Amino acid sequence: MNPIFAIPAHDVASILPEIILTVAGSILVLLEAFLPGLRRLYHALAIAAVGLAAWAVATLPTGPSFHGLIEATPLTGAFSQVVLLATVLGLLAAPGYLSRERLLAGEYPALILWCSAGMLFLVRGVELLAIFLALELLSIALYGLAAFHRREAFSAEAALKYFLMGAFVSSFVVYGIALVYGETGSTRLDGIATALATGQGSPGLLLLGFLLLICGFAFKLSLVPFHAWAPDVYQGAPSPVVAFLSVAPKVASAVVLVRLVAAIAGSPLGGGWPDLVAALSVLSMLIGNLFALVQRDIKRMLAYSGIAHMGYLIIPLASPGATTWRPVLIYLIAYVLMNTGAFAIVSMLYARPGEQHAISTLSGWGYRFPLLAGCLTVCMVSLAGIPPTAGFLGKYFVFLHAIENGRLDLALFGIAASLVGAAFYLRVVYMLYMKPELAAPERTAIDLHGRLAAIATAGATILLGIWPQPLLDWIVRSLAGL
Amino acid sequence: MSSEFTALLLGDSITRWVFFPTLAAIPLLFMRRAPTAAIKWYGLVVSLIELFFLVTFALAHWDGAGMVVKDPVFSWIELPGLAIVYEVGIDGISLPLVLLTGLLLPIVLLGSWKGIERHWSGYVLSMLLLTTGILGALVALDLFLFYVFWEVMLIPMYLIIGIWGGERRIYAAVKFFLFTMAGSLLMLIAILWMGWTYGQLAGTWSFRYEDLLLLDLPLAHQTWLFAAFALAFAIKVPMFPFHTWLPDAHVEAPTGGSVILAGILLKLGTYGFLRFALPFFPHAADRLAPWLLVLAVVGIIYGALVAWVQVDLKKLVAYSSIAHLGFVMLGIVACNLVAWQGALLQMVNHGLSTGALFLMVGMLYDRRHTKKFEDFGGLAKVIPWFAIFFVFSALASVGLPALNGFVGEFLILLGSYQAGYRWFTVIATSGVILAAVYLLKMVQETLWGPLTKEENRHLPDLSAREVAALLPLCAFMLWIGVAPKPFLEPSRPALAAVLESYRDRLAGPIADQPTLAISAPGQARVPTFLAASARRESTGPQP
Repeated sequence: MNPIFAIPAHDVASILPEIILTVAGSILVLLEAFLPGLRRLYHALAIAAVGLAAWAVATLPTGPSFHGLIEATPLTGAFSQVVLLATVLGLLAAPGYLSRERLLAGEYPALILWCSAGMLFLVRGVELLAIFLALELLSIALYGLAAFHRREAFSAEAALKYFLMGAFVSSFVVYGIALVYGETGSTRLDGIATALATGQGSPGLLLLGFLLLICGFAFKLSLVPFHAWAPDVYQGAPSPVVAFLSVAPKVASAVVLVRLVAAIAGSPLGGGWPDLVAALSVLSMLIGNLFALVQRDIKRMLAYSGIAHMGYLIIPLASPGATTWRPVLIYLIAYVLMNTGAFAIVSMLYARPGEQHAISTLSGWGYRFPLLAGCLTVCMVSLAGIPPTAGFLGKYFVFLHAIENGRLDLALFGIAASLVGAAFYLRVVYMLYMKPELAAPERTAIDLHGRLAAIATAGATILLGIWPQPLLDWIVRSLAGL
Repeated sequence: MSSEFTALLLGDSITRWVFFPTLAAIPLLFMRRAPTAAIKWYGLVVSLIELFFLVTFALAHWDGAGMVVKDPVFSWIELPGLAIVYEVGIDGISLPLVLLTGLLLPIVLLGSWKGIERHWSGYVLSMLLLTTGILGALVALDLFLFYVFWEVMLIPMYLIIGIWGGERRIYAAVKFFLFTMAGSLLMLIAILWMGWTYGQLAGTWSFRYEDLLLLDLPLAHQTWLFAAFALAFAIKVPMFPFHTWLPDAHVEAPTGGSVILAGILLKLGTYGFLRFALPFFPHAADRLAPWLLVLAVVGIIYGALVAWVQVDLKKLVAYSSIAHLGFVMLGIVACNLVAWQGALLQMVNHGLSTGALFLMVGMLYDRRHTKKFEDFGGLAKVIPWFAIFFVFSALASVGLPALNGFVGEFLILLGSYQAGYRWFTVIATSGVILAAVYLLKMVQETLWGPLTKEENRHLPDLSAREVAALLPLCAFMLWIGVAPKPFLEPSRPALAAVLESYRDRLAGPIADQPTLAISAPGQARVPTFLAASARRESTGPQP
């Protein structure tokens, strides 16, 4: 056998989680073809596969594989688990909506699983081409998901917008990779860092290369000024897709962004980068929160709120170092819980997928849907960063990191933005409980899965606010090697 | 953490009565379809049990002269280099406010019996969560914990105003929320900054009250931090010019909400000054004292003048709160024992008399669905019992000798005069006269005069339930007015300790760099109630 194509067994074993997800996705597609009668079980099967993948992630031996293209460390393990958590929640959010819209099919969970595999690769990639391939894998699956409501023009429009944005990201990233490789002679992050440290390459081209790479991932994270796609896509894409799309890719992309910023910050080129990140952060917080304030559509509001949250998330990146990971990880966990929860509930309550999801539709429904409204309230309070919730915990650690590293200015900006944020999150609460009902709901899509997602996210949000110690212990263990 | 916490909940501890309302609120989540009467009685029974817990706790830990109790401390959030502890304790400063909270909760539920028409389970739920937030903020001895409890109060109060309030309830609720949040977020940054500074000096972060008291900060730092704390507390009090949320919130809130808001929530602002802002930053507080005094006195006069011209009963009482809290602030800023004792007593007094006035405005509203003076007049002939209680509470609020208001205001004015703030005292005293003017005007226009409105001829007098709500309040008004000593004594040692440490630090030099004082025995840096020798721990697991 030609030795070039022989893959060592330990390399294969090192991508077991991704293999599980990919194979499970393929099986689901085959089931759709041959056993469509089992459709109602597909999501449960997919969740089981994710559980298996989570087990595989937990038992993965640490170390690099595939000649150092990807690695497995406790850190990537932790972020992988967060991705998988978002995947499970995304899978739970969907079946009610899909059955109501007569879209229940094996392709949906399959695409989610494949996307999830791409994200795991993205989290673990330490080489630019591996990162690029992972990015493509997750993006292409997401284009399919965004267009999943095939009878709705809005869904197709959202998918097209997302695709165009994705094409931009890809070209930015590829161009950036080319420049960085050209100047440093390496596509591995550690190799690049070494080359940068020795002052190799033309600073101008390197700067451009890194700028392009960071812009690419800033697009993915929908940071201002690369955010314009988010509200349109969130509004048009099917709500359960948004529950997944608005969190999981951000977890994975944030990891890459932290790695990139860390790679350049330690080099002689690193001078202005913290301020650049700080500018992105401040702009995202301010514009995200201010624009969210004037939205009348809950999905657009949550899109802008997501932009703002990414702004908070990257506050720690303005002072890069080994301590950056902890606040980022905590914030992402909080964000996954509260944002997926909010979108999952939105996807259950709103009847017409294509039209505006006006916040005022919720008027008075707090008494009609006590459970879902209660969970939505918890998610909103958490998004606003009010204790005792996970959202507060996340903000607390982010601000703490800022103060610790002398970025009091960012903390103060964050505070000011939070105040604006509180105003629009509370609007949802007062619609639910303080306004008389405008209209009875027409076609809700409330099912067991969705209820489970709502209870799980809201419950975990509160629990983390009251008793975060087990989670923090886990995080400390995961980040111990840094 | 969980096992320690559970043990505390089951033992005779502070934690038990802080969290009992929250635990008792959980069944309400499943009682949505229960008959309203059952929910009302459930809430009332829970609040009485809570009162029972509070009173028995206070009696059990009373050591004859004062009371200093702490629950065993345990770690809540622990990371390398960062420890946040769960630390709660009670002393003579928080005790009166804690007991007031316990007293007002059942009264609030009784007073809401008729006025609240919808969603009783949610109402009781919000009230119980709010109680946990209030009690927690009053006993928290870790600043992080304090902040959490402080914010926990926000959402229930927001819901109480917004769901069960009047016509412009949403506006009022949002305004209340945003004002309070604006202040508290800056306080959060200040707390984080202090914790970090402590960490720089001591090696590990800490938010514990007694640790942060050891920080000696340069004047510039003190000033900024004091400003951040003072803003949060001044909004809550509310001091002029941060008061604009208060009239809206009070007018729109349901009766029960107004009583809790005026009775206790506002006191958390003044409590915050006394417990945190002044002891932490003595030099800054001392420098800024004239400004605070000006705001306090402006609040007294402004609140009184605006109250005078109101045509709405509830608005009048709301503005009178601004004036009364101005007195409390005057006493706190005066910084001597007499003034502080008066201020603390006045916090309780205001809770009693203004609480009673809000309750009675609510009772009138339940009967006539209006709060305007023009719709009343001559009510004394129709509802004499109501008139008696109303006049009694109004006179207490005015500060008539032999009623509670007099004692508090007199001590405050005496203290501030002794502190050398003569002109402020003189101006503030005229606020007492103005209080008589507007409160007597209120009484006159509702109770006396000819009975002009036909609808008022057949109003029912107070029911047994309403008397049950008012009687304890009025009894305490009289008791404090006639024999204030038992109410002043318990808080004296605690206030004296805080004052001594405040004065000691003020007399000391201002640091150039943030430094950490070494807490030697005999040095009155940490008020004695926190010092290990004087501390008594409630029963529970020993750490």
